[in-house]
Amino acid sequence: MSSGPGLESLVDQQISIITNDGRNIVGVLKGFDQATNIILDESHERVYSTKEGVQQLVLGLYIIRGDNISIVGELDEELDASLDLSELRAHPLKPIIH
Amino acid sequence: MLPLSLLKTAQGHPMLVELKNGETYNGHLVNCDTWMNIHLREVICTSKDGDRFWRMPECYIRGNTIKYLKVPDEVIDKVQEETTKSRSDRKPPGVGRGRGRGRDDGAGGRPSKGTGRGLDDGGSKGMGGGRGRGGANRGGNRSGGRGRG
Repeated sequence: MSSGPGLESLVDQQISIITNDGRNIVGVLKGFDQATNIILDESHERVYSTKEGVQQLVLGLYIIRGDNISIVGELDEELDASLDLSELRAHPLKPIIH
Repeated sequence: MLPLSLLKTAQGHPMLVELKNGETYNGHLVNCDTWMNIHLREVICTSKDGDRFWRMPECYIRGNTIKYLKVPDEVIDKVQEETTKSRSDRKPPGVGRGRGRGRDDGAGGRPSKGTGRGLDDGGSKGMGGGRGRGGANRGGNRSGGRGRG
């Protein structure tokens, strides 16, 4: 579990990021800074659709600029492993409107 | 590890940059700074819809227009060596300097005001010098004209 404010406790753990353009990117948090720029290793994007199961696109090593990040979440790996993504249907998120 | 140290380490490596407007830029990183402004070489720009391409020898991208950067996987292994080195090197002198400066500032309230005035004077002199140069150039041109005449 995370403890205290900040992302320090999540380093080297799987996290899930929702970006301003509505994408969901999952990967291992390797680093961050005061602007919430984030290093994600072994990252992949989860593409949600109502027609078919969740698609996972391999992205690799990413630096995501803080400006573009809406939510950073800790990923419950046990729960995540129990999900059958191929059977999961969901509407894709809409981008943020400023 | 800081995102900007990873970016710095990626110098010379190929990378993909997506901008907030959806355009992507593929190229080799030449240089970057603390604002994430980046200089790329051998660039291929792709339009938002992905059906138009432009090749350019180099480009410079303002940091705040970037959405994300895709960096080769092996770069992250190179950073760790550098950060551990710099940490072990920098920590001891860093602490010493910090204390030293703090005391100096506290004791030097008057001197710091003095330097402030000094800087102002220097600035005004600098401006004066700039004007003077302009005048001298004009004078030089005029005198040249006179000389010709």
